[in-house]
Amino acid sequence: GIIERVETPMEKEIARLRQADFEFSDIFYFCRKGFEAIVEDEVTQRFSSEELVSWNLLTRTNVNFHYVSVRLSLLWGLGVLVRYCLLLPLRFTLASIGIMSVIVGTTVLGQLPNSRVKSYLSELIHLTCCRILVRALSGTIHFHNKENRPQKGGICVANHTSPIDAIILTSDNCYAMVGGDPWAPQGERDTHPPDRAWGGVGCGVQRCNFHSGDADFVERLQLDLRAALFALCFHRLREHVADKSKLPILIFPEGTCINNTSVMMFKKGSFEIGGTIYPVAMKYDPQFGDAFWNSSKHSMVSYLLRIMTSWAIVCNVWYMPPMVREEGEDAVQFANRVRSAIAHQGGLTELPWDGGLKRAKVKETFKEEQQKNYSKMLVRNGSIG
Amino acid sequence: SVLSSPPHQLSSPPTVTSEQIERLHRRFKQLSRDQLTIRKENFDSIPDLEFNPIRGKIVHAFFDKRNLRQESEGLADEINFEDFLTIMSYFRPIEMNMDEEQLDRFRKEKLKFLFHMYDSDHDGKITLQEYRNVVEELLSGNPHLEKESARSIADGAMMEAASICVGQMGPDQVYEGITFEDFLKMWQGIDIETKMHVRFLTMETIAHCY
Repeated sequence: GIIERVETPMEKEIARLRQADFEFSDIFYFCRKGFEAIVEDEVTQRFSSEELVSWNLLTRTNVNFHYVSVRLSLLWGLGVLVRYCLLLPLRFTLASIGIMSVIVGTTVLGQLPNSRVKSYLSELIHLTCCRILVRALSGTIHFHNKENRPQKGGICVANHTSPIDAIILTSDNCYAMVGGDPWAPQGERDTHPPDRAWGGVGCGVQRCNFHSGDADFVERLQLDLRAALFALCFHRLREHVADKSKLPILIFPEGTCINNTSVMMFKKGSFEIGGTIYPVAMKYDPQFGDAFWNSSKHSMVSYLLRIMTSWAIVCNVWYMPPMVREEGEDAVQFANRVRSAIAHQGGLTELPWDGGLKRAKVKETFKEEQQKNYSKMLVRNGSIG
Repeated sequence: SVLSSPPHQLSSPPTVTSEQIERLHRRFKQLSRDQLTIRKENFDSIPDLEFNPIRGKIVHAFFDKRNLRQESEGLADEINFEDFLTIMSYFRPIEMNMDEEQLDRFRKEKLKFLFHMYDSDHDGKITLQEYRNVVEELLSGNPHLEKESARSIADGAMMEAASICVGQMGPDQVYEGITFEDFLKMWQGIDIETKMHVRFLTMETIAHCY
């Protein structure tokens, strides 16, 4: 953060400000909070890259870039040379090899008749090619607790930072992926195509739409086409999950890229399907390269270029023990439980905010909380009645 | 007098460092979506601000020409970065090297800013109705609180203010409203300078390279 925040609760602060029961001073507290929010707010800063404590010789991560010393500039110059003239061509070649292998491999495999050998080979090719691609994107991945790797017939949920997440996870295990960004609100999908560009090929349903918030749910259901699609999608996913021979589904419940310092609200849709949930926590080490994709700032191509010219993308992936929805727990509570577990494992903070705030506004219900608290306080202090 | 202390007339104490200005500029660009000016609508993109019951007044304060130190009256439609900094300077923290006169001016500025927040019709007085509006806004989130309660709080506070400012009033004396001098009197002895500021963290990013 850039400003010092005093975290005393509202009641204490207002009580301190008020001397001789003077309500004129109450406005101070809200005024200051307002200004703090204007200078820096909790949510917007999650949608910009994490700030580093010590510079890693990448100009892009040093927003306060200014001249320090000749030595440092030389070092930086050398770094640029290494990154653009050595690492980039190397990685580009690797990426081409990887993509070529995928194309060739799947074509060849397509010719073979269905058999156990075929599925074994297909998994092998899949994993190998993904690993090559990960290396091409300068990824160094550490997988922890491999015994908890998602099994067939389950749903894998993970926190979301970049489009690379999916590739990283598939380099260790095979998943069936739900295409595109399923949780985008109706209007948004058309105005922000880059975010949806990397949709995977998966269980045959191109776009499913789950959305938390009952009002949105009802709104959607009212549209006939949508309702049919929803039912179909839900049913298909349910079927997929129930079939133990099918690959586990990979879902990112936050619905959008967050900058990997926190975990935002999980959309409850994926938690309603049922079945076993395999949570996965992913934490990128920002020291060697910034994996966060700010889709409003960079296009996909420029993002990939940045990735390939960073030092490395270092990621720790923790597989966590499977979770199931307990008796008397509804989808939202279950989602929050999974979210806490992921945040705890990855060392991320939990925010009660919706990832959708990247593009939309705060819900009315949240707004009223603060005001309710203040008036409750007034009642308690006997100022009323 | 003006002639004996020209330095004070020409410059105010150093407010923020260049680094902080840079940060604020980045924030300004974020809010303005890379335009040169900010309009009221741009403040809608701050989720944290939505929580604030006096959000309207705070945003209003940014466009208030009195706060922007402009000669004319009323509200500006849009503000540029210089105006933004001007408003931000009302919230700068006290510096150690300030003398009595500077401190006094500092305090007056902050109180003036607050005064403008209350005095929404720009007539130089906070009337009972204006104060009621503020209290209502502060309490607007609670549906169970009746308008009457908000009124009684406001009335009580105004009476107290009147007693401080004017002393005992006769039975047919009407208290018109709190002027700025009265407002200053109310805050005598209460240090608001330490409560009405936003302090920047110093981020010495480059120092670690050594």
